[in-house]
Amino acid sequence: MKRRWVGYAVWLLLTACLYFFENNAGTRIMLLCSLLVPLVPFLRGMFFAPDGPEPDYVAPSCTVRSLNREEEEEPDGVRPYVPGDPIRRIHWKLSAKKQELLVREYVPLSPLPSQLPTVNSQRPTPNSKLLTPNPTLQTLNSKLQTPNSKLITLLLLLLVFIAILPEANRGAQALCNRLFAASERVNAYVYTSFPVPEDQSVLLASLLLLGILACLLALTVLRRSRLLALGLMAACSLFQVYFGLSFPWWINVPLYAALGLWMMKRPFDGRRALCFLLLVLLVSAAVLAFFPGVDAATESASESVRDRLSGFSRSLLGTAPELAAGETETRRVHTRSLETGDREAAPERTYRLVTEEAEAISMPRWIDWLKMILLLLLTVALVALPFAPFLLLNARRRKAREARKAFASEDPGEAVCAIFTHVIRWLCETGHDAGNRPFADWAERLPAGLPEGYADRFARCAADFEQAAYSLHPLPEESRRRALSLLRETEAALWQRATRKQRFRLKVWVCLCE
Amino acid sequence: MRAQLENVLREVEKAIVGKRPVIEKILMALLAEGHVLLDDVPGVGKTTLAVALSRAIGLAFRRVQFTPDVLPSDLTGFTMADRESGDFVYRPGALNGANLILGDEINRASSRTQSALLEAMEERQVTVDGKTYALETPFLVIATENRVGTAGTQPLPYAQMDRFLARLSLGYPDYEAQMAMLRDRQDADPLRDVACVLDREELLALQREARAVTAKDAILDYITRLTLASRAHEAVELGVSPRGALFLDRMAKARAFLEGRDYVTGGDVRAVFQDVCAHRVLLKENVREAAVEQVLEELLKKVENPDRSRLFPGMKK
Repeated sequence: MKRRWVGYAVWLLLTACLYFFENNAGTRIMLLCSLLVPLVPFLRGMFFAPDGPEPDYVAPSCTVRSLNREEEEEPDGVRPYVPGDPIRRIHWKLSAKKQELLVREYVPLSPLPSQLPTVNSQRPTPNSKLLTPNPTLQTLNSKLQTPNSKLITLLLLLLVFIAILPEANRGAQALCNRLFAASERVNAYVYTSFPVPEDQSVLLASLLLLGILACLLALTVLRRSRLLALGLMAACSLFQVYFGLSFPWWINVPLYAALGLWMMKRPFDGRRALCFLLLVLLVSAAVLAFFPGVDAATESASESVRDRLSGFSRSLLGTAPELAAGETETRRVHTRSLETGDREAAPERTYRLVTEEAEAISMPRWIDWLKMILLLLLTVALVALPFAPFLLLNARRRKAREARKAFASEDPGEAVCAIFTHVIRWLCETGHDAGNRPFADWAERLPAGLPEGYADRFARCAADFEQAAYSLHPLPEESRRRALSLLRETEAALWQRATRKQRFRLKVWVCLCE
Repeated sequence: MRAQLENVLREVEKAIVGKRPVIEKILMALLAEGHVLLDDVPGVGKTTLAVALSRAIGLAFRRVQFTPDVLPSDLTGFTMADRESGDFVYRPGALNGANLILGDEINRASSRTQSALLEAMEERQVTVDGKTYALETPFLVIATENRVGTAGTQPLPYAQMDRFLARLSLGYPDYEAQMAMLRDRQDADPLRDVACVLDREELLALQREARAVTAKDAILDYITRLTLASRAHEAVELGVSPRGALFLDRMAKARAFLEGRDYVTGGDVRAVFQDVCAHRVLLKENVREAAVEQVLEELLKKVENPDRSRLFPGMKK
């Protein structure tokens, strides 16, 4: 459990690092994905949930597993006995068969499996029973697993708001720019404070990185562990951060998505993988649509959308655009001098003007359409909203009328059932719900201050109700009268004591047709 | 409540003071034709209770004190050669001819003896050397198990515990009850005052009537949901068995009958649920043993009772 969180934290940290160093669409997508994954309950299982055929829970180190040393090692065939081998490793059965001493060979389990959750799922652990999570952990788990749909809805709403409100949109862009400026400052600091000698070759560093990559790949072949995916992800990120340049989003996003898929639990869950890919797609679409970032092409697209939107609102409000014809707006474009000769040159930022023609080339129209559709949907929803309560009330009224119809039923038993449940509903709505216990027991938990002898009459009617509900005997007509008088008494007594809110609820839910 | 049963209760209460709920439950088990496991510390009146019950109903009572060297043949009887006639003669054991058996400290018996007793409990007959002898009806076994001093005992396996209808516990008497008990026993043995108020035939008739109590589908549905929920509970390794569900139904019927009704309500099931199911539920290893009651209580809270499902019909959870 904890280790999964560590894995996730590493992932988050890496994406955050990348985002901080190079703020473009790709890094934004990655950061958003890693933030969103634990919020989606279904996907959370990827990292945190121990659901699966066997408990995917790694015992706290050195409690259970180290009781038996062999458990920490994996049996890996036999070999002939060599003097000095421990006697308890001798494979007696095989030795007896082959008439020579054979020894079991063990390969120490790499520390990798315990770092990340999945590895044991391929190999049945012998003492899986001992490894079942203790109850506190289980409850913790179930708490974590409860879908916090509220949070997700809130998040989605926030995203929609950012997408729709121009101010919020601009604010978000401003925030992005701030972050970008901060990362630029770091870049500048690194560039000026750690100058690299001119004759330094990059060969050694590249070889080192290649070696690390090769090792990781080799490990992948030997042991399939999800830690590797994380390691590769780390290597990629560090590579990009170290050299201060990042791949364009169309390389990075598929790469990270693939690594994320790799990190998923095995046995492979197709639906979960699909869900994850969809999430990545969604986030990429959202980011590319609304925060295309400082990548020149995508940024100009976003700028154009903004311009168009502001133009749209301006034309609605009747104010003319203030910019001169031929120019839209100044925008920041980040360039970095990569000339090796110019050592003193600090990273610089320039501003340039973009003409309308250039603008028109990179102007994707479909984003506008998307926004229009979203707005349309929102309008429809807003228009339909006021009618919803009335529809609901009508349905309630019909239901209540039907419930009342049973009061005058031919069969007194049915009537008693209906009336008595009505009494109980009154009690529930006025906050005297005695919980999931038989109605006859409610007589002991009636609220104080009811008329004299009410509890006895209630118990009498409860007995009638039980007979009506569970016996085969018909009830006398008298019991219906008794129940009706109890209902009237209950209504009168509880209505007086009810608070304003309770009265409202009673009107809506219980006695609409009166 | 039936006057007959009320009389029985009153007579038994003469000997055991202040334990009415437990006596009622044992009577329920008797009506439901099931056996009872008393899980208790020594000296709280298990034997007195059984003797008083057998006297009040006019049942043949026998007590078997189990030790590791009690043999199956002590219970079921055995055949021996008669020197004079040269035939083999069947010598009945403790179970033959008894209506009420008190198996004291059943966990001290060897597992062979235990299984002989349990077989007799289930089949209500004993088989010795290929001949089957029917046992008396009614046949009720009250087995006791001590919680303390378990060294050298052979605890009942889970599968055998399942055959008992209910596990009950007498518990210590409270202050008043103990004072009353001390006062009663100053001069004479109160067991002598217990009169026979019900005979065997009447009891059999009552058992038949108890079996005929109505349990509507809503109740059976409640029982089924309870047992299913017990199997699905996260802290439970083994939930209530189908036999447990059957017993729960029978015990609820007996309770309804004892209360003077001829139909079962959700309250009946609820009232006997703990006693019938607590010994059938096996919790996972790392959950405390004492938590069974809590788990069952939780189930009772969680599983919607049949009354409440009428409150919001159509809202299936």
